[in-house]
Amino acid sequence: MSGAAGNIYDLGYRGYDGPRVGRRAVAVALLRQTLAASYGIGRGGRAKLVPFGLGALGLLPAVLAVGIAALVSQAGPAGPNLEEASPIRHDTYQGLSATIVMLFCAAQAPELFGRDQRYGVLPLYFSRSLGRADYALARLGGLALAVFALSIAPHIVLTLGAVLAATDPLTGLANEAHEVPRALAISVLDAGLLAGVAGVIAAWTPRRAYATAAIIGAFIVPPIVVALSARLAAGGLARALVLVTPGDLLDGANAAIYGSIPDSPAVAAAGLPAWSYLAAAALGIAVCVTLMLRRYVRITV
Amino acid sequence: MPLIATEGLTKRYPGSVTALDGLTLSLEPGIIGLVGANGAGKSTLLRILLGLLEPTSGSATVLGHDVATDGARLRRSVGYMPESDCLPPDSSATDFVTQMGRWSGLPASAARERAAEVLRHVGLYEERYRQIGGYSTGMKQRVKLAQALVHDPRLLLLDEPTNGLDPAGRDEMLALVRRTGTEFGIAVVVASHLLGEIERVCDFLVAIDAGRLLRAAPLGAFTERTGALAVEVEDNAAALATALTAAGLRVTVDGRTVLVELGDDQQYDAVRDAVAELGLPLVRMQRRRHGLEDLFQ
Repeated sequence: MSGAAGNIYDLGYRGYDGPRVGRRAVAVALLRQTLAASYGIGRGGRAKLVPFGLGALGLLPAVLAVGIAALVSQAGPAGPNLEEASPIRHDTYQGLSATIVMLFCAAQAPELFGRDQRYGVLPLYFSRSLGRADYALARLGGLALAVFALSIAPHIVLTLGAVLAATDPLTGLANEAHEVPRALAISVLDAGLLAGVAGVIAAWTPRRAYATAAIIGAFIVPPIVVALSARLAAGGLARALVLVTPGDLLDGANAAIYGSIPDSPAVAAAGLPAWSYLAAAALGIAVCVTLMLRRYVRITV
Repeated sequence: MPLIATEGLTKRYPGSVTALDGLTLSLEPGIIGLVGANGAGKSTLLRILLGLLEPTSGSATVLGHDVATDGARLRRSVGYMPESDCLPPDSSATDFVTQMGRWSGLPASAARERAAEVLRHVGLYEERYRQIGGYSTGMKQRVKLAQALVHDPRLLLLDEPTNGLDPAGRDEMLALVRRTGTEFGIAVVVASHLLGEIERVCDFLVAIDAGRLLRAAPLGAFTERTGALAVEVEDNAAALATALTAAGLRVTVDGRTVLVELGDDQQYDAVRDAVAELGLPLVRMQRRRHGLEDLFQ
């Protein structure tokens, strides 16, 4: 007779009487999983390469700026002037990192939205208590949070750097306090709009390569059209197009939030009131959410 | 309360394809076979019952929940195994089934435990940590069944669970379905176009053809005995038929078999006597049953 420890007992199937969570908690869990998957967490090592690589690239200017500030603070009386001259500030960061954020969206959105469609997993989601709208919002929300993290992280580094480099950290904190709402505002718009556009395109384009190409196209083609129409002296058209071009729109919104001069010549030339950029960004986000819901409510599974 | 009830359920797809045509059903818990040819409307019916698809007209309730208005609560108690591929190849079975458990409302730790439990139940052991992309069809079908079971549903809807399996794989899958249904008290609806398979696992059978109900009855009723006795002899069936007709029985000849219409037990004696008198080598005497195949002829 073999020892009891050596036996494998078939216990058969057992039921589950434990706790169950409601629909909202399931949606939150899906959102968290989406956020993690945006950074390749819960997937293989290779899946982390692109998101973390882009994250590091996005942070690099901020880290450099903090390093320079630390050196400058030892440079004596010339310090403050040098710091003013730095091109890496809160108000310029949106312009610095926009391309990286767009690449992040183009790389990750197709993975999040296309995978479930390509492999036919959607029927399994929709045959559970999770609703179609829950799924759409959780996925989009997860991607938007990932983009928000990417967008706000450099601002956090800049703020921490400024506080630590200040002779009196408390004064440094007080000086930086007004940056917090502005950084939050531009990061929310960044996240909502870029994740929204990328998510909608990816949701309608299950094939990964096509989706990535389409997202990059959506981010780089409109500015070319804007520049062309401006060149062709169609000023009215160029002004309207600035508001539907994600990059220009966010540039304008950034300038509106910081009261600074926009990076893009097209935005500067358009001369639209500051509020119009904020309103257009909010409207753009609403349109993306609507399109996303439509996609998943109507999709046949 | 019936497990599943439908009333005049109709589904028309664009292009005037009618998948379901006024289907009215009332099914009690058990292992229910849903049988019909490809395109008979089986998958459409299952998807409507899950609320994945909206019927063109008619209504349906599952476990007492209206499909149209109470879909979310209904789906909490139902597990679904679709016919199509639905597994991401770059995920391991453990991760995938755990996630599906979470989306069914299990807390994270419970989902992990349940995933391990149901994967063991369907017969996946060490391989459950490997990526699904490297699995055989049989293993994939098991993962599909496991994800349908992970939240311990009260009703399982299985769409062609033996699709793509070899004979041994089919046997194992059918045994698994039967075990899940009988030992654990989970009601099961199995859709299949293979009568022979359905016959082996189900207690109750629903036959549909071109979206219409052909018949819904306990399995026994489908294969109930007819009033005929088949008498097979080595040769000279014609002589036996003549003798039996002379004895007042109604018979038909089918090759070496003489079919005798039965009334009462005395006819057995008449057959015995006739065979003995003629000295015919008797091969077998058997009560005839309706084959399930007769349904679709």
